[in-house]
Amino acid sequence: MIVPRIARHCLYFCILAAFLPQHAIAHGGVVDEGDLCVIKVNYLRAHFKIYQPGVSGHKQYCEDLPVAAESVFVMEYQHDSLSEMAIDFRIIRDVTGKGRFARIEDVAQIGDLQSATVYYQPAVIEPDVYTINYAFKEEGDFIGIVSAAHPETGKVYEAVFPFEVGFTGLGYWPFFIGLLVVIQLQYLLMSGRLKRWFGRRSPSAMGLVLGLLLFPLASYADDLVVTYTTPDGDPQINRMHSWILHIETDAGVEVEGAKVEVDGGMPKHNHGLPTKPRVTEELGGGDYKLDGVRFHMSGYWEIVVRVTTDSGTSIVTIPLQL
Amino acid sequence: MIVVATAIAACQWWPSSPPSWTGDEVAVLKSLWLASLPELSPDPSNAVADEPAAAEFGRKLFFDMRLSANGGISCATCHQAERGFTDGLQKAQAIGTTKRHTPSIVGTAYSPWQFWDGRRDSQWSQALAPLEDPNEHGTNRAQVVALVAGDNDYRASYESLFGKLPDLNDADTFALNTAFANVGKAIAAFERTIMPTTSRFDEYVAAVVDRDADRQSELFSDDEALGLRLFIGAANCTQCHNGPLFTNFEFHNTAVISFPGDVPDKARVSGVIEVLADEFNCFSPYSDDPLRHCSELEFARTGAGLIGAFKTPSLRNLAAPFMHQGQLTTLADVLEHYNNAPDAMIGHNEAKPLGLSKRELRQIEAFLTTLEAPVAESPAATQIESKQAD
Repeated sequence: MIVPRIARHCLYFCILAAFLPQHAIAHGGVVDEGDLCVIKVNYLRAHFKIYQPGVSGHKQYCEDLPVAAESVFVMEYQHDSLSEMAIDFRIIRDVTGKGRFARIEDVAQIGDLQSATVYYQPAVIEPDVYTINYAFKEEGDFIGIVSAAHPETGKVYEAVFPFEVGFTGLGYWPFFIGLLVVIQLQYLLMSGRLKRWFGRRSPSAMGLVLGLLLFPLASYADDLVVTYTTPDGDPQINRMHSWILHIETDAGVEVEGAKVEVDGGMPKHNHGLPTKPRVTEELGGGDYKLDGVRFHMSGYWEIVVRVTTDSGTSIVTIPLQL
Repeated sequence: MIVVATAIAACQWWPSSPPSWTGDEVAVLKSLWLASLPELSPDPSNAVADEPAAAEFGRKLFFDMRLSANGGISCATCHQAERGFTDGLQKAQAIGTTKRHTPSIVGTAYSPWQFWDGRRDSQWSQALAPLEDPNEHGTNRAQVVALVAGDNDYRASYESLFGKLPDLNDADTFALNTAFANVGKAIAAFERTIMPTTSRFDEYVAAVVDRDADRQSELFSDDEALGLRLFIGAANCTQCHNGPLFTNFEFHNTAVISFPGDVPDKARVSGVIEVLADEFNCFSPYSDDPLRHCSELEFARTGAGLIGAFKTPSLRNLAAPFMHQGQLTTLADVLEHYNNAPDAMIGHNEAKPLGLSKRELRQIEAFLTTLEAPVAESPAATQIESKQAD
């Protein structure tokens, strides 16, 4: 009985695939990658999101927008070189007749791009994040065109993404997804695979998975010991102060002549140090003067010390509860 | 069952008793106490920072509407003493409309950074920027120095503090900039005197330190005391609003929504670039510190981690509206925003959702009102203002 069931699944899938819009292919520019919406300008990537703050506050959209309203388009670069490129942003009414299947080639064939344009932000270099604000006056099909010019070669990279304003809802998507889930669950229950799948997860297998996850951390715990003293007294919140770092090997040999870089932050709060501390002087005997240290809140901090010597780089994390 | 249900309902309905403070909590309360505010450190970049004569000269300049393109704008147009040195508007209105909400001046002498995005590193360099901003005073340095030179009283004050004014017909850029910077230094000497005073909260902490329970309940309602406990505990407020001024003067992204018609404000990530390049910063030749001790600039953090990060404002003397563009109208809106902690439009929200109840939010709000207190500012100021207006 199993073989016909699998065949039936393939059939369902083929039918579904024929119905579902082919986002990744048609949209060339913007791709919904699960929990992240990404715009690809050739090989350059940026996290892409659109807001309608006056209508739906912090709710973010990847492409289609529910209503014609003020809309804020945000591109957060995942590729540093976008910070140095002049980027322009154009929104046109979809005059290609291709709807969400419109591509760069279709846009290139538009004779009068200007008259189709509803919004244009001329090329500007915007470090870190690029934003525009356009209030749509009417619903309909639109195409966004983002161009980025390479500062040295002058080559222009483009992304084109068709989208709909006044997007009426999710269409048949929830129905198809629901159907798929029901069919899949029915298959798993009938075939007994679900039970077998759970039964197979033994503690040793879980241990192996956990071990693999933790493995990268083990590389930090190497042969250097970094301790610190604070000549200006105990660290106090909101006060710039200095540390003396003492670095030695596990065997107690002082490490001299190393390049020492320091960073850190509060892992629970997803932020770094408020300052950029720097080793300003090697004091000898494995001691290094670290200036410009400041903490701006109490709680758990981690100071990450990166020590580079002829024999390689070691990273040591110093935990600190303030 | 009924008894248990009634008991649970009762606990939720009737206010719980006011807190008796643990040793750790008392330590936090003392850290927020105005009595714990350290003495203001000298400002070596401003040689007249603590000169009373400079503060007096600066006070006159602060209220002088002639320091503007249309003769109608002074520093006090937006920094209104009676409103805690802000203006009650979303965005500041002077000659034009500015990008952001008017920040208070109270206690800012303690801050290493000025403006919401910290794009200046001293009170005196901050004071210069609005003078030349076309949306604010709309004037320029030559006009400012000419005004000082043309007013006998100002000229006398200036020359007794800083020496001879340059001849404007023959002044080089450095001489003109020095005179302009000196005007900022006089204004800063006045602004340095604007400090918060003892609030009901500070009296309450004194009562806690004295273990005077009667005085505590006299000063704080149960809700205010419970709100304070949440403020220093479950609501995580003191992560940023710490110290006697209720601010760490650092930069945080808390995902405040963009202002209608604007793109989201990049804030500190741009502000830090601007302060590092500012012609009047701590490293500049206009600083009076011969040693150029500029550790704030030297160790300033830059980079994408600062996208959308604004300087924590003090919570003493709260005045609506709130946030960098006055986006939130009431304290209840602010508390709800932090309770939800939405994703940021740009950058990352550092705050996490709190999951507090409506009642708990109201208690925190009740506590925050106990921080109101008059600002230490001489009444002479308002007299000068009316004189200038005449």
